[in-house]
Amino acid sequence: MGFLVTTLIFVVIGIIACLCTRICCNRGPSANLFHLTLVITATICCWMMWAIVYLAQMKPLIVPILNEGE
Amino acid sequence: MARRLRLFKEQMTKAGVSPSMWSTRDDHFDLEHLEVKLEELEAELLEINANNEKLQHTYNELLEYKLVLEKVGELFSSAKNKAVAHQKELEFQTTVEGSIDSPLLLEQEETTTKQIKLGFIGGLVHREKSIPFERIIFRAARGNLFLKQGVIEHPVLDPLSGEMVHKNVFVVFYSGERVKSKILKICDAFGANRYAFSNDSSKQFQTIREVSGRISELKATIDAALIHRSTLLQTIGYHHGQWRLLIHKVLQRATMDCSSQVVAIFQVLETTESPPTYFCTNKFTSSFQEIVDAYGIAKYQEANPGVYTVVTFPFLFAVMFGDWGHGICLLLAALYLMIRERKFASQKLGDIMEMAFGGRYIIMMMALFSIYTGDASTTGFIKVRSTYPFGVDPKCHGTRSELPFLNSLKMKMSILLGVSQMNLGIIMSYFNAKYFKNNINIWYQFVPQIIFLNSLFGYLSLLIIIKWSTGSQADLYHLMIYTFLSPTDDLGENQLFVGQKLLQLVLLLLAVVAVPWMLLPKPFLLKKQHQERHQGQSYDLLCGTDDTLESESQSIAHDHDEFDFSEVFVHQLIHTIEFVLGAVSNTASSLRFLAHSELSSVFYDKVLLLAWGYNNTIVLIIGIFVFICATVGVLLLMESPSAFLHALRLHWVEYQNKFYEGDGYKFFPFSFTLLTDEDEL
Repeated sequence: MGFLVTTLIFVVIGIIACLCTRICCNRGPSANLFHLTLVITATICCWMMWAIVYLAQMKPLIVPILNEGE
Repeated sequence: MARRLRLFKEQMTKAGVSPSMWSTRDDHFDLEHLEVKLEELEAELLEINANNEKLQHTYNELLEYKLVLEKVGELFSSAKNKAVAHQKELEFQTTVEGSIDSPLLLEQEETTTKQIKLGFIGGLVHREKSIPFERIIFRAARGNLFLKQGVIEHPVLDPLSGEMVHKNVFVVFYSGERVKSKILKICDAFGANRYAFSNDSSKQFQTIREVSGRISELKATIDAALIHRSTLLQTIGYHHGQWRLLIHKVLQRATMDCSSQVVAIFQVLETTESPPTYFCTNKFTSSFQEIVDAYGIAKYQEANPGVYTVVTFPFLFAVMFGDWGHGICLLLAALYLMIRERKFASQKLGDIMEMAFGGRYIIMMMALFSIYTGDASTTGFIKVRSTYPFGVDPKCHGTRSELPFLNSLKMKMSILLGVSQMNLGIIMSYFNAKYFKNNINIWYQFVPQIIFLNSLFGYLSLLIIIKWSTGSQADLYHLMIYTFLSPTDDLGENQLFVGQKLLQLVLLLLAVVAVPWMLLPKPFLLKKQHQERHQGQSYDLLCGTDDTLESESQSIAHDHDEFDFSEVFVHQLIHTIEFVLGAVSNTASSLRFLAHSELSSVFYDKVLLLAWGYNNTIVLIIGIFVFICATVGVLLLMESPSAFLHALRLHWVEYQNKFYEGDGYKFFPFSFTLLTDEDEL
């Protein structure tokens, strides 16, 4: 459940970043397409990074050992 | 318009007028009006310059004329005095020898007759040429002339060259027209300027007065013209800075508009060579493009991997480097280079500094992504109840289970990222083939590659995700091995979902089929295509037997299209093997994502905290010093290039290797002269 919510957050942030890039750096259709590609790629990379770490911790196999290591 | 501005600046520099850099007027010139105005000003300036040159030329000639008249006047006066003295001497002889009156009278008559026939030419000649000039004239006339030269003390402005030259005034007395023509030719050869004058003293004085008057008048005209020119240049200088800024702004905007990764459109010439490649880049994207070009220059109109490299390269670096503290250090270094950008660009830097400055935007991007991934993958502890929302649970740090968990996490993360990257590369090859309308590459290269990669390693990625989601205890390592060794055995405790055995069998079969699919059809289809083309040429040859030239051209074309089936087959075999083995080794090489964090933790715990624990000031200072040296020397200066090189290899081998041929060559514009640094944009 938390996974879907945060994924949606990443999508929203990605869309907002695309719009901001379009507004702030409007320099012709070709450059705009390039900027859009960059923003989408960056958003996907950041999401993948987060998602991998999150999924790895959803149901951990390695049982946590408290107090013994400290 | 930039050319006209440069012309104006040059003229102003000559005239000593400095352009006003800050214009008080805030008029906004329209670009069309500016062009018209510049055109008018240029025409006016050129006309003024031409008029000034003409006036100056005439002025110099008149000055020479005046000098000639003065010197010749002197020569004639001295000659006259000598003649008078000579005459007196003759009279004295007459008195002594009174008996010989008759012969003297005859001699006088003879002299008078001779004087009437003499002519003379006067002018100026270069001093260093005067002696050869005199010798040649004397020889040409065989001694039947009289030449007199006078030195002019100060240099004279030459009308032709406009330089100050040392000259001599000369007068030549001769008899006969033939000698005259010879003398004229010699004067022309030596570049001597000739001026007409009279032998009468009173007329000479009158001519001098006339020439002096004309000189004064012309000087006044020249001065007026110079004042007018100066006024015009000042007017131009008043607006020059403003116009220059406007033009540069327009040019800069045009440059920005084409700053995206667009292949330039070339005029196609009649040649079999492939056209060169050119990508528009700005100062931000040029360094990323350099990384791609180091692998190979794109073939003409081939998909440019530099587009995705702008993001994926710093991201992959960050996955390996992955530390927000050191990321901040990198960011500060990059910001320093960017702030001092203008200064460093004009300086001569050392080799290492030059590289760092050239890649300052890469460093900035790597730093930003490092801060993010460092935060996203901070080490921590795992809670049983709920998943930690962002990054790794910090409580995990220092526990016994930290290392097994992190190693497992990073290994699986490496496989997921590596497979994603390779899939992106193969998808790019689809777009390449689609653009070039190469159906063979789509159906017999792209499709089997996708099938092979995803039926094995894509499936492995899927298993990883399922394992994470369900908390299964399955051993993926053994699972993958036994899929190949004994695909029909029961999975036992390694089963993750219902129907897994059947799915694995299907995927294995697909992978086995994909390899010959990749290998065999393409060479045969290429051979078939070639045969069809060859038959077409045979028909052409039959029609064109009468024309020898056409036959020769067809023969050349035939040689050009020669098809070697075995060569193509071997090439495809090598390519297939490379892909299959590459898929395995590239997945394994993704494990190089494991890096850095362990080293950082070691330095932090063993050096800094240890020094802090002693509760001693001196030990603490030494500990801090060692920690700083270790941080800068090892983690920033050694670990960063290491992660950089790994990211570079991942891009070249795992990503670009999948689709990028890179056998083109770079475009260099043709120019006779390079613009000066001042005019570069």
